[in-house]
Amino acid sequence: MDADLAAFLILSVVEIAAAYLVVSSKRLVHSVFWLSVTLVTIGAIYILLRAEFLGLIQIIAYAGAVPILFLFGIMLTRRKIMEEPHEAE
Amino acid sequence: MSGHIVDLFGYSHALMGWLMARAHDAISGIGSGLAGPAPPVADGLSNMGAVLVAPWFITLQTWLIAVTAVIMWCTAVNLLLMMWMERKFYSRLHDRVGIKIGLTSMGFLANIPILGRLFTNFVKRPSHLGTGFLQNVADGVKLVQKENITPAKADRFTFHVAPVLIAVSTLLIFAGIPFSEGFALMKEPNADGLPSNPLGILFILAAFGLAPIGILIGGWSSNNKYTLLGGMRSAAMLLSYEIPLILSIVAVVVLTGSLDPFEIVRQQTQGLGEAMPPLSFLPGSGAAPLYIPNWFFLVQFPAFLVFFIAALAEQERIPFDLPEAEAELVEGWLTEYSGMRFGLVFGFKWLRGLAGSALLVILFLGGWTGPALATPWSIPTDTGTVPILLPPQELWFMLKVYGVFFLWVWISWTFPRVRIDQILNIGWKKLIPLALLAIFLSIALRLFGVYR
Repeated sequence: MDADLAAFLILSVVEIAAAYLVVSSKRLVHSVFWLSVTLVTIGAIYILLRAEFLGLIQIIAYAGAVPILFLFGIMLTRRKIMEEPHEAE
Repeated sequence: MSGHIVDLFGYSHALMGWLMARAHDAISGIGSGLAGPAPPVADGLSNMGAVLVAPWFITLQTWLIAVTAVIMWCTAVNLLLMMWMERKFYSRLHDRVGIKIGLTSMGFLANIPILGRLFTNFVKRPSHLGTGFLQNVADGVKLVQKENITPAKADRFTFHVAPVLIAVSTLLIFAGIPFSEGFALMKEPNADGLPSNPLGILFILAAFGLAPIGILIGGWSSNNKYTLLGGMRSAAMLLSYEIPLILSIVAVVVLTGSLDPFEIVRQQTQGLGEAMPPLSFLPGSGAAPLYIPNWFFLVQFPAFLVFFIAALAEQERIPFDLPEAEAELVEGWLTEYSGMRFGLVFGFKWLRGLAGSALLVILFLGGWTGPALATPWSIPTDTGTVPILLPPQELWFMLKVYGVFFLWVWISWTFPRVRIDQILNIGWKKLIPLALLAIFLSIALRLFGVYR
């Protein structure tokens, strides 16, 4: 099998799984983490498609902005650091 | 003037080609040594032997060896050397001797029959006569055998993922950093046959920008007030100092018109007299203008200053160490980590320091270029033979890198910690305007034709 195709399949499976986890995670911070995985994987797919500049800008601009989202997620949504473990279930 | 002695891919390829050919010979020898018709096992073996010498397999092995070599060079050599240098140096600043555990401190060496005589003197006070280089190795071994504690109320998944994320993103930086013209992972010949990496600086920046996610996640997932505060401070600081860092790189990129670290270094090799109107400090002599290398910290001093301070803040060193201010926040965002996880997130600061000073040397201090003596020897590389210069490129590069790191250590053990409001003031009100000034300086130099 072609190495490019194999890489593309692996990356797209990871990306779709991470994108699903963004919306299905119970905790906001997990969503933010999976969002960063999704964005970095999209950047990797750009690089695979020989659009290296776009891919690197995608990683710098989008994955670099994820910490800001994280800060908003923590500071504007909950008062406690995180719920107690038994509450989460 | 090319004088590198390390040709990473050439050497890896030669090594793997030789090893795989030997393995192929050995495997085919098994089958042919049997009498009678070859059993089916021999067929499988010869197929396997054919795979071993196939070009794609050797390419794969070459990449694996090259990546491993770079990782080992950064962690096993440079990380230990930098930690040792910092500990010895700040001990001298404190007017004490510092760590002393070295090879001579290992008492069992005295039991070696003849060589042991060399160590017998040291057995009396074994911990007082070494160079201290093995102290960091001992600390590492201690961390490995400690228990990895996960706090009961921590968020297990993100708590375990954060150190991996930090370590991976830090090691990724070194894929983009060339240590010389030959010692680089990302390298391809350009139209003129010279080594190049068209988007190298961008790649390094992308890898640099991934660590704050890991730091924030690590600080949050420990479920502890101090780690969360440390993570928040760290995010505020790293994000606000990444902007002047990138702006000061933009100043150099505008000046050179290239995102290629090799090209940026090449443009710094020409004398200042060639890029700018000739400087002649010898009155009456028309010939031989004074040769000053065109290192960009001369032309772009504001950008150099901004990069120097911002890179110091990026590694959370002491004037900017408020994410882990020991007096306020136990150990900052890595309080709850223990064992080798702590070692992983603690050692990454030195690796970021190594990456930052390597980037500083490439951008502002002329990279691996410097005065060198020619020697009669030369070595074969993938692009023909290269003459060996007396301080080879790798040595020049590491000398400059360690010089910059030495300055950082000096600063960080001399100045007191900056307060949080002052940190944001310095970042946003002083460094960013200075970096913008540097960009305008670059644009002016390009516009008025001083450069190109």
